[in-house]
Amino acid sequence: MLQINELKASIGGTEILRGLSLAVNAGEVHAIMGPNGSGKSTLAQVIAGHADYEVSAGTVQFEGKDLLELEPEERAREGIFLGFQYPVEIPGVNNAYLLKAAVNAKRKHQGVPEIDAFEFLKLAKEKMAVLGMDPKFLNRGVNEGFSGGEKKRNEILQMAMLEPRLAILDETDSGLDIDALRAVAEGVNALRSPDRAIVLVTHYQRLLDYVEPDYVHVLSEGRIARSGDKTLALELEEKGYDWVREATAG
Amino acid sequence: MKSAPLSLDALQAAVQQLPESALTTSRHAALEHFREHGLPTIRDEDWKYSDLAPVVDISNRWLADAATSSPSAAAAAAITTICNSIEADWLVIFGGQVDAKCFDGFDQTGVSVSRLSDAAENISFDAPLSDLNLALLQDGLRIHVPKDMQPTTPIGILVVDEAIASPGMSQSRIEVELDAGSTATIIEYHASVGSADQYTNSVTNLRLGANARADYVRIQDRGLVHIHTSRLAVHCERDSVFNHSGFDLGGSFVRNDIVVDLAQAGTCATFDGLYLIGDKQHIDNHTRVDHRVGPAESHQEYRGILAGKSRGIWNGKAIVHPGADGTDAEQANHNLLLSDNAEIDAKPELEIYADDVKCSHGTTVGQLDETALFYLRTRGLSKREAQQVLTTAFAQSIVSKAHSDAVRDFLEQKVAQRLGEMMQGAVS
Repeated sequence: MLQINELKASIGGTEILRGLSLAVNAGEVHAIMGPNGSGKSTLAQVIAGHADYEVSAGTVQFEGKDLLELEPEERAREGIFLGFQYPVEIPGVNNAYLLKAAVNAKRKHQGVPEIDAFEFLKLAKEKMAVLGMDPKFLNRGVNEGFSGGEKKRNEILQMAMLEPRLAILDETDSGLDIDALRAVAEGVNALRSPDRAIVLVTHYQRLLDYVEPDYVHVLSEGRIARSGDKTLALELEEKGYDWVREATAG
Repeated sequence: MKSAPLSLDALQAAVQQLPESALTTSRHAALEHFREHGLPTIRDEDWKYSDLAPVVDISNRWLADAATSSPSAAAAAAITTICNSIEADWLVIFGGQVDAKCFDGFDQTGVSVSRLSDAAENISFDAPLSDLNLALLQDGLRIHVPKDMQPTTPIGILVVDEAIASPGMSQSRIEVELDAGSTATIIEYHASVGSADQYTNSVTNLRLGANARADYVRIQDRGLVHIHTSRLAVHCERDSVFNHSGFDLGGSFVRNDIVVDLAQAGTCATFDGLYLIGDKQHIDNHTRVDHRVGPAESHQEYRGILAGKSRGIWNGKAIVHPGADGTDAEQANHNLLLSDNAEIDAKPELEIYADDVKCSHGTTVGQLDETALFYLRTRGLSKREAQQVLTTAFAQSIVSKAHSDAVRDFLEQKVAQRLGEMMQGAVS
């Protein structure tokens, strides 16, 4: 589904990704871990198409298409979803409006009729119930005045409504209390399916107790330093990131 | 190169040609005032960003060849559309002439409406452009809401002009009096059709008696090649409330003055405005509030969105006179620039001559938030859609504050439509 080969990317002249390769197939859940500054968030942003990052080498293919040629909105409509580490507050833009516009942008791209107001509301309320969100959040400004946990639930709500082929969740677990973490994990697990892939970008092992990954990769200095199964995450938790760095250096 | 001044001989001839009416004496007095004071120039501090050369040019051309006409089918259709879009009892001024037919249909029980050409007492002209307005005034409206009257339907005043082949120029004047304890919603709507040059000069005087309240909405949606100047002067007596929302959607060269006189204690004036300025447009909003006594409050928030090669000016002045203790004056002005060629001059001015006052002002100028744009695009919205969503949200905060249910939905659509036009190819 997603094929990344020898990807190099920089921001403001500083190279962050230094030849990263990764393959993600449908049905898989990958966890990408690593210390601060290792390039985790950069990878997520580059896949989503952030213009501030310059790709200098390498390829990214999504379902056989050259992803780097596509605008952020085209990537979204093709089925890529990025859950933001810091979801953006947009005062004056109604949460329901954005959800509906997002769902319809994708439907239009797929040649499917737009969702009607009744169907939309029913679906949104169903998904919100799973996430323990008050339906009142629909009528508020996007993330406006939301707590950290509410913002992250809102990201998962958007993901649940959009049903992406590939979901990349950037530090969705950071700053969550245990209830919010469980709710978010439940939302993610509800989306696991054989034709969908999920990439969890995380600093800690904590989320992986609730969403069990098929593969764990450790990023160090812009490359994947080590890959393994879920036991790698536990090993990391025990030995710390220095262990990877030393192993790589050696 | 200095442009030619407005031709006083031609002006005098035009004034003399106007039909005899109750306005005749006032017109001549106003002409004399204009002869003495003339038009403001960019050497006047309040006019330094808005050179009235285009006004002089079109006035001279019109004075040389004054033509009047009745509404074409297009103008008649525009009038019908606007009157049907907003639920109000509409009065229409077309080409400076009061449409007397509206008086029949004007069913505000108790509200009296008359023509200034029938009775023209107490008409002021002691302000820039106001003298020119009165000198050339064919007719105007007087609206009187008697004591304690609270008409449920908004009073709509539609000022329409048309310029098809030759340059057009018109004056509109509206005198509104709300007696003690009365409450009224007033919608002043300016529109124009035709592609020839056109200039309209509008003056509105609003007098609020004790405990009266006016919810005032001003919509300026002139043709994009037309010139518009307006002056709204408000006098507030004890415990009266003035709520104003102004919307500038059209016009090539626009200057609006709002002057609010908080003459007595307990008054509260809230005036908000939204200006949408597209390519080749120049829109200047000057506000002035005089706190003569306290306690009294004034709150103003103007927002502007500028695209293409455009120019905007906002100047908000609050004067707290000696002894006006207990004044609460607040000013805010926020601007969104969608292009590198757009220019805004924003200036809050506070002059405080009293001790016990609470005054604040804030001005911002910025671009669309790149992070928010990216966020929306990762949700599948195109760049254009994302830009439009964010600009609309910025404008919406003023639309939602309009004190009339009748216009809010209408304005929401109108603003979205105008923003769409402005952003067509105008945003990088």
